[in-house]
Amino acid sequence: MGYEELFPGMDAKWHANATKRFASPFVDVPTDRIDVDPIILSHAAVACGFTIRDFYEKPELGIHCVGYISHLYDLLAVTHWFYSLPWCRELGLTLQYKDTLPPISTGPIISEPGQVDNIHVPDVDELMKGHTLPEFIRMYEYVAKNLPMTLVPISYGFDIVGAAAELCGVENFIMWTFTEPDAAKKLVKKYTDTSINGADGLARKFGMAMLIVGSVLANNDIFSDETTKEYSADMMRYYVDQSFRRGAGPQIFYHLCGNHETDYKVFKDTLIWSPFTVFHVGYKGKEVFPSSLLKQEFGNMATIMGSVDTKIMINPNPKVVYEQSKMQLLGGRDSPKGYILGNSCECPPYTIPGNLLAMVKAARDFGTFGTW
Amino acid sequence: MDIKIPDNVKEVIGKRGIKEADIEAVVKEAESSNKKLVKNGRNLAKKKIGDVLVYVDYDIDKGVLSKHAKVNSAYTHRIVLQHIVNADGPSGWTCAHCNEAAAFGHVQMEYMTVKRNGPAVVCAKCGDSWAEEYLATKTLAAVEGLFEKKRA
Repeated sequence: MGYEELFPGMDAKWHANATKRFASPFVDVPTDRIDVDPIILSHAAVACGFTIRDFYEKPELGIHCVGYISHLYDLLAVTHWFYSLPWCRELGLTLQYKDTLPPISTGPIISEPGQVDNIHVPDVDELMKGHTLPEFIRMYEYVAKNLPMTLVPISYGFDIVGAAAELCGVENFIMWTFTEPDAAKKLVKKYTDTSINGADGLARKFGMAMLIVGSVLANNDIFSDETTKEYSADMMRYYVDQSFRRGAGPQIFYHLCGNHETDYKVFKDTLIWSPFTVFHVGYKGKEVFPSSLLKQEFGNMATIMGSVDTKIMINPNPKVVYEQSKMQLLGGRDSPKGYILGNSCECPPYTIPGNLLAMVKAARDFGTFGTW
Repeated sequence: MDIKIPDNVKEVIGKRGIKEADIEAVVKEAESSNKKLVKNGRNLAKKKIGDVLVYVDYDIDKGVLSKHAKVNSAYTHRIVLQHIVNADGPSGWTCAHCNEAAAFGHVQMEYMTVKRNGPAVVCAKCGDSWAEEYLATKTLAAVEGLFEKKRA
């Protein structure tokens, strides 16, 4: 039995409206309300009665859960599935599936800066024989067959600095940025080049590949603004530029999770912006990044995605979620190139459904396009 | 000026629906106005013909009695490039008209009445902008397709 037999078919009427809503911020055609993208991952599996491990270990099941549960919450018309360490297996790490977590690295890590030179960047043909690219291709082929109206092939550069740091251990990497900056930069570039080859491979297969790339480890809790630019923003630009040259894109989702109290300023004049770009920032200090500031700084560059604090999604208090959603919607809804309401990072697996409903209710109540 | 189009280039431009007469018009206007980008002997010129912007990438071979343009490639896009949004890095190209380094940057782009930002090579002095071949034939072609689909 295939996973598709576990789910009723997609409701065409709902999906048609969700598709129009999903398109609206990019083409200046207002619909019923602003879209909500809580970045649902394994919560979709949990909400369908499966486990977190099922979600990551069985991508076809996981992405079908995302597509199915999006209807329950009235979310996006498109599907996605990912974890934070794509391409790492091809660079030497072993990933272990866990019952309560996304897959984690069990090494082996490199321990000496000189070992960075020995890391081989696999080309597209080698990636086709690896793990990550065949897994994504297999999953998108499943979507094309069973949920075709939700298909958007996505290639993940993801957290370029964070994933590269896993190759030598995060603590080593942070130390190397002070003591061995050339090795640290070379490591990030090797990971990025591998991700670019991955985007190339996916674009060859599907004729396009949306790009998702972020700055998560590189944030103001760890790095200065200058270091974030040097290690993260500059490499995110390189990733998008090179991926575009290989035929990936044109959609881009820039995901800045963590504390970007002041370093958000380095991204505006560094990143590449396409007509289908969404820019998202999680936190400013310990608070959610204000949508009003996001609109002021980035609203003229791209569609922006505001944040509801991930932490409050597991507290039994939907009113708090509703009020924060309202605050962010009022701050960002008239952004010139469109606004989406999101969470500051992945929707927690055990998110309380009432809290997701609170986000959507706030979008229905206050998520008008413009300020009317 | 003679314009030479190698057979392999003729095949590519034929697939892209570009006429040889369009190529001649682009090159002649660029050579008379000097409005083009140059890089290591390469020239990149553009001209609006109908609803599309036609680009020609060519070299100039100077002989004893005459010179001719050898076409390396030609391509088009329909999205309209408008004002410069920013200029954020060296491109390696020079704006021949201004004799100034052109930069990588962003311009406002308009398609089907929608205005969004996109990458381009820009001359901050004269305000002109260009899309390189990879950008026009891959990224912007996909952008145009998405706009048409999402506006449908």
